[in-house]
Amino acid sequence: MIFGMWDSPLFYLGPIPVDHLIVTEWVIIAFIGIIAMTATKNMQMVPKGLQNAFEAIILWTYDFFTQLMDKESVAKKWAPLLTTFFLFILLSNYSGLIPGAARIEGFQPPTSNWNVTMTLALITFFAVHIAGFSEHGGHYFGHFVSPSWAMLPLNLIEEVAHPLSLTVRLFGNIFGEEMVIAYLLFMAPFVVPSLIMALSLLLGAIQAIVFTILSASYIAAAAGEGH
Amino acid sequence: MRRNRRFYLSVLLVTMVMILGFATFCMASGGGNVPVPQPEGNTPAFGNLYAIGWSAVNFLILLALMYKFAYGPINNMLEQRTNAIEGSLKHAEEVKLEVEQMRKETASNLAESRKEAQEIVARATKAAEESKNEIMAKAKEESTLIKNKATAEIQAATEQAKLELKDAAVSLAILAAEKVLNRAINDDDHKNLAKQFVNEAGDLLC
Repeated sequence: MIFGMWDSPLFYLGPIPVDHLIVTEWVIIAFIGIIAMTATKNMQMVPKGLQNAFEAIILWTYDFFTQLMDKESVAKKWAPLLTTFFLFILLSNYSGLIPGAARIEGFQPPTSNWNVTMTLALITFFAVHIAGFSEHGGHYFGHFVSPSWAMLPLNLIEEVAHPLSLTVRLFGNIFGEEMVIAYLLFMAPFVVPSLIMALSLLLGAIQAIVFTILSASYIAAAAGEGH
Repeated sequence: MRRNRRFYLSVLLVTMVMILGFATFCMASGGGNVPVPQPEGNTPAFGNLYAIGWSAVNFLILLALMYKFAYGPINNMLEQRTNAIEGSLKHAEEVKLEVEQMRKETASNLAESRKEAQEIVARATKAAEESKNEIMAKAKEESTLIKNKATAEIQAATEQAKLELKDAAVSLAILAAEKVLNRAINDDDHKNLAKQFVNEAGDLLC
Protein backbone atom coordinates (compact mmCIF):
# COMPACT_ATOMS: atom_id res chain seq x y z
CA MET A 1 0.00 0.00 0.00
CA ILE A 2 1.32 3.40 -0.88
CA PHE A 3 0.04 6.73 0.35
CA GLY A 4 -2.94 4.92 1.74
CA MET A 5 -3.73 3.51 -1.69
CA TRP A 6 -3.70 -0.01 -3.04
CA ASP A 7 -0.98 -0.61 -5.61
CA SER A 8 -0.46 -4.36 -5.42
CA PRO A 9 -2.60 -6.85 -7.35
CA LEU A 10 -5.82 -7.82 -5.62
CA PHE A 11 -5.96 -11.26 -7.20
CA TYR A 12 -4.73 -13.18 -10.22
CA LEU A 13 -6.96 -14.15 -13.10
CA GLY A 14 -4.85 -17.06 -14.28
CA PRO A 15 -1.41 -15.54 -14.80
CA ILE A 16 -2.81 -11.99 -15.14
CA PRO A 17 -2.75 -9.82 -12.03
CA VAL A 18 -5.87 -7.77 -11.37
CA ASP A 19 -5.29 -4.53 -9.48
CA HIS A 20 -7.72 -2.95 -7.03
CA LEU A 21 -8.43 -0.08 -9.40
CA ILE A 22 -9.38 -2.53 -12.16
CA VAL A 23 -12.13 -3.90 -9.93
CA THR A 24 -13.34 -0.32 -9.30
CA GLU A 25 -13.33 0.22 -13.07
CA TRP A 26 -15.55 -2.82 -13.47
CA VAL A 27 -17.98 -1.46 -10.89
CA ILE A 28 -18.06 1.94 -12.64
CA ILE A 29 -18.59 0.28 -16.04
CA ALA A 30 -21.37 -1.88 -14.61
CA PHE A 31 -22.98 1.19 -13.04
CA ILE A 32 -22.94 3.18 -16.31
CA GLY A 33 -24.02 0.12 -18.27
CA ILE A 34 -26.97 -0.61 -15.98
CA ILE A 35 -28.16 3.01 -16.10
CA ALA A 36 -27.86 3.02 -19.91
CA MET A 37 -29.73 -0.29 -20.16
CA THR A 38 -32.47 0.86 -17.82
CA ALA A 39 -32.83 4.19 -19.61
CA THR A 40 -33.13 2.66 -23.06
CA LYS A 41 -34.97 -0.55 -22.16
CA ASN A 42 -38.44 0.54 -23.21
CA MET A 43 -37.80 3.45 -25.50
CA GLN A 44 -40.89 5.61 -25.94
CA MET A 45 -41.61 8.02 -28.77
CA VAL A 46 -42.32 10.67 -26.16
CA PRO A 47 -39.45 10.34 -23.67
CA LYS A 48 -40.13 10.32 -19.93
CA GLY A 49 -38.12 9.96 -16.73
CA LEU A 50 -34.71 8.31 -17.01
CA GLN A 51 -34.98 7.96 -20.79
CA ASN A 52 -35.61 11.68 -21.06
CA ALA A 53 -32.64 12.55 -18.83
CA PHE A 54 -30.31 10.14 -20.63
CA GLU A 55 -31.41 11.35 -24.07
CA ALA A 56 -30.93 14.94 -22.93
CA ILE A 57 -27.35 14.20 -21.83
CA ILE A 58 -26.47 12.39 -25.07
CA LEU A 59 -28.07 15.07 -27.26
CA TRP A 60 -26.40 17.83 -25.28
CA THR A 61 -23.00 16.23 -25.84
CA TYR A 62 -23.77 15.86 -29.56
CA ASP A 63 -24.63 19.55 -29.74
CA PHE A 64 -21.65 20.52 -27.63
CA PHE A 65 -19.13 18.63 -29.77
CA THR A 66 -20.80 19.85 -32.97
CA GLN A 67 -20.25 23.42 -31.84
CA LEU A 68 -16.66 22.63 -30.90
CA MET A 69 -15.76 20.95 -34.18
CA ASP A 70 -15.89 22.31 -37.70
CA LYS A 71 -17.75 19.43 -39.25
CA GLU A 72 -20.96 17.97 -37.89
CA SER A 73 -20.16 14.57 -39.37
CA VAL A 74 -16.89 14.42 -37.42
CA ALA A 75 -18.68 15.50 -34.24
CA LYS A 76 -21.33 12.81 -34.68
CA LYS A 77 -18.66 10.21 -35.31
CA TRP A 78 -16.52 11.02 -32.27
CA ALA A 79 -19.12 12.26 -29.76
CA PRO A 80 -19.80 8.75 -28.37
CA LEU A 81 -16.12 8.26 -27.54
CA LEU A 82 -15.82 11.70 -25.96
CA THR A 83 -19.04 11.31 -23.95
CA THR A 84 -17.84 7.93 -22.72
CA PHE A 85 -14.54 9.56 -21.70
CA PHE A 86 -16.48 12.18 -19.77
CA LEU A 87 -18.78 9.74 -17.95
CA PHE A 88 -15.96 7.33 -17.11
CA ILE A 89 -13.58 10.01 -15.86
CA LEU A 90 -16.30 11.83 -13.91
CA LEU A 91 -17.41 8.69 -12.08
CA SER A 92 -13.78 7.62 -11.53
CA ASN A 93 -12.96 11.00 -10.00
CA TYR A 94 -16.05 10.96 -7.80
CA SER A 95 -15.45 7.37 -6.72
CA GLY A 96 -12.54 8.72 -4.66
CA LEU A 97 -14.99 10.78 -2.59
CA ILE A 98 -17.08 7.79 -1.52
CA PRO A 99 -16.27 6.85 2.07
CA GLY A 100 -13.94 3.87 2.13
CA ALA A 101 -12.23 4.67 -1.16
CA ALA A 102 -8.62 3.44 -1.18
CA ARG A 103 -9.25 1.74 2.16
CA ILE A 104 -11.60 -1.09 1.21
CA GLU A 105 -9.97 -3.83 -0.87
CA GLY A 106 -10.79 -3.53 -4.55
CA PHE A 107 -11.88 0.09 -4.21
CA GLN A 108 -9.45 2.65 -5.57
CA PRO A 109 -10.34 5.60 -7.79
CA PRO A 110 -8.94 4.62 -11.22
CA THR A 111 -7.96 8.14 -12.28
CA SER A 112 -5.65 8.48 -9.25
CA ASN A 113 -3.31 6.07 -11.01
CA TRP A 114 -1.41 7.33 -14.01
CA ASN A 115 -1.45 3.99 -15.79
CA VAL A 116 -5.18 4.52 -16.23
CA THR A 117 -4.93 8.18 -17.24
CA MET A 118 -2.21 7.23 -19.71
CA THR A 119 -4.44 4.56 -21.20
CA LEU A 120 -7.17 7.13 -21.72
CA ALA A 121 -4.67 9.61 -23.19
CA LEU A 122 -3.35 6.91 -25.54
CA ILE A 123 -6.89 6.19 -26.71
CA THR A 124 -7.23 9.91 -27.44
CA PHE A 125 -3.84 9.85 -29.24
CA PHE A 126 -4.97 7.04 -31.54
CA ALA A 127 -8.41 8.57 -31.99
CA VAL A 128 -6.83 11.88 -33.09
CA HIS A 129 -4.73 10.22 -35.79
CA ILE A 130 -7.52 7.92 -36.93
CA ALA A 131 -9.82 10.97 -37.22
CA GLY A 132 -7.18 12.93 -39.16
CA PHE A 133 -6.38 10.05 -41.49
CA SER A 134 -10.03 9.16 -42.13
CA GLU A 135 -10.89 12.77 -42.97
CA HIS A 136 -7.84 13.72 -45.05
CA GLY A 137 -6.34 10.41 -46.16
CA GLY A 138 -2.65 10.52 -47.00
CA HIS A 139 -2.61 14.32 -46.90
CA TYR A 140 -2.98 14.12 -43.14
CA PHE A 141 0.68 13.21 -42.73
CA GLY A 142 1.60 16.47 -44.44
CA HIS A 143 0.85 18.38 -41.24
CA PHE A 144 3.89 16.79 -39.57
CA VAL A 145 6.13 18.76 -41.97
CA SER A 146 4.04 21.89 -41.90
CA PRO A 147 4.96 24.64 -42.56
CA SER A 148 8.40 23.15 -43.48
CA TRP A 149 10.51 20.01 -42.95
CA ALA A 150 12.43 21.84 -40.28
CA MET A 151 9.35 21.78 -38.07
CA LEU A 152 9.13 17.97 -38.08
CA PRO A 153 10.84 17.47 -34.69
CA LEU A 154 8.72 20.14 -33.02
CA ASN A 155 5.55 18.72 -34.52
CA LEU A 156 6.49 15.24 -33.30
CA ILE A 157 7.19 16.59 -29.82
CA GLU A 158 3.78 18.27 -29.89
CA GLU A 159 2.14 14.98 -30.81
CA VAL A 160 3.77 13.31 -27.83
CA ALA A 161 3.14 16.27 -25.53
CA HIS A 162 -0.60 16.07 -26.03
CA PRO A 163 -1.16 12.63 -24.49
CA LEU A 164 1.51 13.28 -21.92
CA SER A 165 -0.15 16.46 -20.75
CA LEU A 166 -3.54 14.72 -20.65
CA THR A 167 -2.04 11.88 -18.60
CA VAL A 168 -0.20 14.01 -16.08
CA ARG A 169 -2.92 16.67 -15.69
CA LEU A 170 -5.68 14.23 -14.80
CA PHE A 171 -3.49 11.99 -12.69
CA GLY A 172 -1.84 14.92 -10.89
CA ASN A 173 -5.12 16.58 -10.01
CA ILE A 174 -6.93 13.51 -8.79
CA PHE A 175 -3.96 11.90 -7.06
CA GLY A 176 -3.09 15.26 -5.47
CA GLU A 177 -6.66 15.71 -4.29
CA GLU A 178 -6.70 12.21 -2.79
CA MET A 179 -3.39 12.89 -1.05
CA VAL A 180 -4.56 16.22 0.34
CA ILE A 181 -7.69 14.59 1.76
CA ALA A 182 -5.67 11.69 3.18
CA TYR A 183 -3.17 14.05 4.89
CA LEU A 184 -5.93 16.35 6.16
CA LEU A 185 -7.74 13.36 7.67
CA PHE A 186 -4.50 12.55 9.44
CA MET A 187 -3.90 16.13 10.61
CA ALA A 188 -7.32 17.66 11.34
CA PRO A 189 -10.81 16.62 12.43
CA PHE A 190 -13.35 15.75 9.79
CA VAL A 191 -14.59 19.33 9.24
CA VAL A 192 -11.48 20.48 7.37
CA PRO A 193 -11.26 17.46 5.03
CA SER A 194 -14.97 17.90 4.38
CA LEU A 195 -14.35 21.36 2.94
CA ILE A 196 -11.66 20.00 0.63
CA MET A 197 -14.02 17.20 -0.36
CA ALA A 198 -16.62 19.80 -1.31
CA LEU A 199 -13.97 21.43 -3.48
CA SER A 200 -13.13 18.01 -4.91
CA LEU A 201 -16.69 17.68 -6.20
CA LEU A 202 -15.98 20.71 -8.37
CA LEU A 203 -12.45 19.58 -9.21
CA GLY A 204 -13.60 16.13 -10.33
CA ALA A 205 -16.15 17.60 -12.74
CA ILE A 206 -13.70 20.19 -14.06
CA GLN A 207 -11.00 17.60 -14.75
CA ALA A 208 -13.49 15.36 -16.57
CA ILE A 209 -14.61 18.32 -18.68
CA VAL A 210 -11.04 19.47 -19.36
CA PHE A 211 -9.89 16.03 -20.49
CA THR A 212 -12.94 15.65 -22.76
CA ILE A 213 -12.74 19.12 -24.27
CA LEU A 214 -9.00 18.83 -24.91
CA SER A 215 -9.50 15.44 -26.57
CA ALA A 216 -12.31 16.94 -28.64
CA SER A 217 -10.16 19.89 -29.68
CA TYR A 218 -7.27 17.59 -30.69
CA ILE A 219 -9.66 15.50 -32.77
CA ALA A 220 -11.20 18.67 -34.23
CA ALA A 221 -7.75 20.03 -35.09
CA ALA A 222 -6.73 16.78 -36.80
CA ALA A 223 -10.00 16.36 -38.69
CA GLY A 224 -10.55 20.05 -39.39
CA GLU A 225 -9.79 22.10 -42.47
CA GLY A 226 -6.36 23.18 -41.22
CA HIS A 227 -4.65 20.10 -42.64
CA MET B 1 -38.66 33.09 -1.29
CA ARG B 2 -35.87 32.65 -3.80
CA ARG B 3 -33.30 33.71 -1.25
CA ASN B 4 -34.74 31.24 1.24
CA ARG B 5 -34.52 28.45 -1.31
CA ARG B 6 -30.89 29.23 -2.00
CA PHE B 7 -30.20 29.33 1.72
CA TYR B 8 -31.82 25.94 2.32
CA LEU B 9 -29.98 24.43 -0.64
CA SER B 10 -26.66 25.72 0.74
CA VAL B 11 -27.44 24.29 4.18
CA LEU B 12 -28.39 20.96 2.58
CA LEU B 13 -25.17 20.88 0.56
CA VAL B 14 -22.99 21.73 3.57
CA THR B 15 -24.76 19.07 5.66
CA MET B 16 -24.28 16.45 2.96
CA VAL B 17 -20.60 17.30 2.61
CA MET B 18 -20.15 17.15 6.38
CA ILE B 19 -21.86 13.75 6.52
CA LEU B 20 -19.63 12.60 3.65
CA GLY B 21 -16.54 13.93 5.48
CA PHE B 22 -17.57 12.30 8.71
CA ALA B 23 -18.21 8.97 7.03
CA THR B 24 -14.82 9.21 5.28
CA PHE B 25 -13.18 10.04 8.58
CA CYS B 26 -14.86 7.04 10.27
CA MET B 27 -13.71 4.73 7.47
CA ALA B 28 -10.18 6.14 7.54
CA SER B 29 -9.87 5.88 11.29
CA GLY B 30 -11.26 2.36 11.29
CA GLY B 31 -14.31 3.18 13.37
CA GLY B 32 -13.04 6.06 15.45
CA ASN B 33 -9.40 5.09 16.20
CA VAL B 34 -7.83 8.52 16.48
CA PRO B 35 -5.42 9.56 15.11
CA VAL B 36 -5.88 8.36 11.54
CA PRO B 37 -2.66 6.67 10.40
CA GLN B 38 -0.32 8.90 8.43
CA PRO B 39 -0.23 8.09 4.72
CA GLU B 40 3.20 7.08 3.58
CA GLY B 41 4.90 5.57 0.57
CA ASN B 42 5.63 6.40 -3.04
CA THR B 43 3.56 7.43 -6.00
CA PRO B 44 2.03 4.55 -7.99
CA ALA B 45 4.42 2.71 -10.28
CA PHE B 46 4.36 4.05 -13.83
CA GLY B 47 4.18 1.65 -16.71
CA ASN B 48 2.18 -1.11 -15.07
CA LEU B 49 1.37 -2.88 -18.32
CA TYR B 50 -1.28 -5.05 -16.75
CA ALA B 51 -3.13 -1.99 -15.42
CA ILE B 52 -2.80 -0.32 -18.83
CA GLY B 53 -4.05 -3.40 -20.64
CA TRP B 54 -6.96 -3.96 -18.28
CA SER B 55 -7.93 -0.29 -18.42
CA ALA B 56 -7.85 -0.27 -22.21
CA VAL B 57 -9.98 -3.42 -22.39
CA ASN B 58 -12.37 -2.06 -19.74
CA PHE B 59 -12.75 1.25 -21.54
CA LEU B 60 -13.39 -0.45 -24.86
CA ILE B 61 -16.00 -2.68 -23.17
CA LEU B 62 -17.64 0.46 -21.75
CA LEU B 63 -17.58 2.05 -25.20
CA ALA B 64 -19.19 -1.06 -26.69
CA LEU B 65 -21.84 -1.07 -23.95
CA MET B 66 -22.56 2.59 -24.60
CA TYR B 67 -22.90 1.95 -28.33
CA LYS B 68 -25.17 -1.02 -27.67
CA PHE B 69 -27.37 0.45 -24.95
CA ALA B 70 -27.10 4.22 -25.37
CA TYR B 71 -26.04 5.57 -28.75
CA GLY B 72 -27.63 2.85 -30.87
CA PRO B 73 -31.12 2.96 -29.32
CA ILE B 74 -31.06 6.74 -28.91
CA ASN B 75 -29.97 7.32 -32.51
CA ASN B 76 -32.65 4.89 -33.72
CA MET B 77 -35.24 6.62 -31.58
CA LEU B 78 -34.15 10.03 -32.88
CA GLU B 79 -34.46 8.78 -36.44
CA GLN B 80 -37.90 7.31 -35.70
CA ARG B 81 -38.95 10.55 -34.03
CA THR B 82 -37.71 12.59 -37.00
CA ASN B 83 -39.66 10.33 -39.37
CA ALA B 84 -42.75 10.53 -37.16
CA ILE B 85 -42.53 14.32 -36.98
CA GLU B 86 -42.02 14.59 -40.73
CA GLY B 87 -44.97 12.26 -41.28
CA SER B 88 -47.12 14.26 -38.89
CA LEU B 89 -46.19 17.53 -40.58
CA LYS B 90 -46.98 16.06 -43.99
CA HIS B 91 -50.27 14.69 -42.71
CA ALA B 92 -51.07 18.07 -41.12
CA GLU B 93 -50.39 19.75 -44.46
CA GLU B 94 -52.73 17.33 -46.22
CA VAL B 95 -55.41 17.83 -43.58
CA LYS B 96 -54.99 21.58 -43.91
CA LEU B 97 -55.52 21.40 -47.66
CA GLU B 98 -58.53 19.15 -47.14
CA VAL B 99 -60.00 21.53 -44.60
CA GLU B 100 -59.42 24.44 -46.96
CA GLN B 101 -61.21 22.53 -49.70
CA MET B 102 -64.08 21.70 -47.35
CA ARG B 103 -64.27 25.29 -46.22
CA LYS B 104 -64.60 26.45 -49.81
CA GLU B 105 -67.27 23.84 -50.48
CA THR B 106 -69.15 24.82 -47.35
CA ALA B 107 -69.01 28.50 -48.27
CA SER B 108 -70.31 27.71 -51.74
CA ASN B 109 -73.08 25.48 -50.32
CA LEU B 110 -74.00 28.16 -47.83
CA ALA B 111 -74.33 30.79 -50.55
CA GLU B 112 -76.46 28.43 -52.60
CA SER B 113 -78.64 27.59 -49.62
CA ARG B 114 -79.08 31.26 -48.82
CA LYS B 115 -80.13 31.94 -52.39
CA GLU B 116 -82.58 29.04 -52.32
CA ALA B 117 -83.98 30.20 -48.99
CA GLN B 118 -84.50 33.68 -50.39
CA GLU B 119 -86.27 32.20 -53.39
CA ILE B 120 -88.48 30.08 -51.15
CA VAL B 121 -89.37 33.07 -48.99
CA ALA B 122 -90.14 35.17 -52.07
CA ARG B 123 -92.30 32.41 -53.51
CA ALA B 124 -94.13 31.95 -50.22
CA THR B 125 -94.70 35.68 -49.88
CA LYS B 126 -96.11 35.85 -53.37
CA ALA B 127 -98.40 32.86 -52.77
CA ALA B 128 -99.59 34.35 -49.50
CA GLU B 129 -100.34 37.66 -51.23
CA GLU B 130 -102.26 35.89 -53.94
CA SER B 131 -104.13 33.82 -51.42
CA LYS B 132 -104.96 36.94 -49.42
CA ASN B 133 -106.30 38.75 -52.48
CA GLU B 134 -108.36 35.74 -53.48
CA ILE B 135 -109.86 35.40 -50.01
CA MET B 136 -110.60 39.12 -49.89
CA ALA B 137 -112.31 39.03 -53.27
CA LYS B 138 -114.35 36.00 -52.31
CA ALA B 139 -115.34 37.58 -49.00
CA LYS B 140 -116.36 40.77 -50.76
CA GLU B 141 -118.44 38.83 -53.26
CA GLU B 142 -120.12 36.82 -50.53
CA SER B 143 -120.86 39.92 -48.47
CA THR B 144 -122.38 41.59 -51.52
CA LEU B 145 -124.54 38.54 -52.15
CA ILE B 146 -125.65 38.45 -48.52
CA LYS B 147 -126.40 42.15 -48.57
CA ASN B 148 -128.42 41.88 -51.77
CA LYS B 149 -130.34 38.94 -50.43
CA ALA B 150 -131.03 40.73 -47.19
CA THR B 151 -132.21 43.84 -49.08
CA ALA B 152 -134.52 41.76 -51.20
CA GLU B 153 -135.91 40.01 -48.18
CA ILE B 154 -136.46 43.33 -46.41
CA GLN B 155 -138.20 44.69 -49.45
CA ALA B 156 -140.48 41.63 -49.72
CA ALA B 157 -141.25 41.83 -46.02
CA THR B 158 -142.07 45.53 -46.38
CA GLU B 159 -144.43 44.87 -49.30
CA GLN B 160 -146.08 42.09 -47.35
CA ALA B 161 -146.48 44.32 -44.32
CA LYS B 162 -147.97 47.06 -46.49
CA LEU B 163 -150.54 44.68 -47.95
CA GLU B 164 -151.47 43.36 -44.52
CA LEU B 165 -151.78 46.86 -43.21
CA LYS B 166 -153.97 47.77 -46.10
CA ASP B 167 -156.32 44.87 -45.40
CA ALA B 168 -156.45 45.75 -41.73
CA ALA B 169 -157.22 49.37 -42.56
CA VAL B 170 -160.03 48.31 -44.92
CA SER B 171 -161.63 46.22 -42.20
CA LEU B 172 -161.25 49.09 -39.74
CA ALA B 173 -162.79 51.58 -42.15
CA ILE B 174 -165.76 49.35 -42.77
CA LEU B 175 -166.37 49.05 -39.11
CA ALA B 176 -166.05 52.81 -38.67
CA ALA B 177 -168.40 53.52 -41.57
CA GLU B 178 -171.00 51.15 -40.21
CA LYS B 179 -170.87 52.94 -36.95
CA VAL B 180 -171.24 56.33 -38.62
CA LEU B 181 -174.08 55.32 -40.91
CA ASN B 182 -175.68 53.10 -38.42
CA ARG B 183 -176.59 50.74 -41.16
CA ALA B 184 -175.17 48.05 -43.13
CA ILE B 185 -173.75 49.06 -46.29
CA ASN B 186 -173.87 46.85 -49.28
CA ASP B 187 -170.91 45.35 -50.78
CA ASP B 188 -170.43 47.90 -53.45
CA ASP B 189 -170.59 50.84 -51.14
CA HIS B 190 -168.47 49.07 -48.85
CA LYS B 191 -165.77 48.44 -51.24
CA ASN B 192 -165.80 51.90 -52.67
CA LEU B 193 -165.59 53.53 -49.36
CA ALA B 194 -162.90 51.29 -48.14
CA LYS B 195 -160.83 51.79 -51.20
CA GLN B 196 -161.13 55.45 -50.99
CA PHE B 197 -160.17 55.45 -47.37
CA VAL B 198 -157.33 53.10 -47.80
CA ASN B 199 -155.89 55.03 -50.62
CA GLU B 200 -155.98 58.18 -48.62
CA ALA B 201 -154.74 56.49 -45.47
CA GLY B 202 -152.11 54.59 -47.44
CA ASP B 203 -150.76 57.76 -48.89
CA LEU B 204 -150.54 59.19 -45.48
CA LEU B 205 -148.95 56.05 -44.02
CA CYS B 206 -146.38 55.34 -46.70
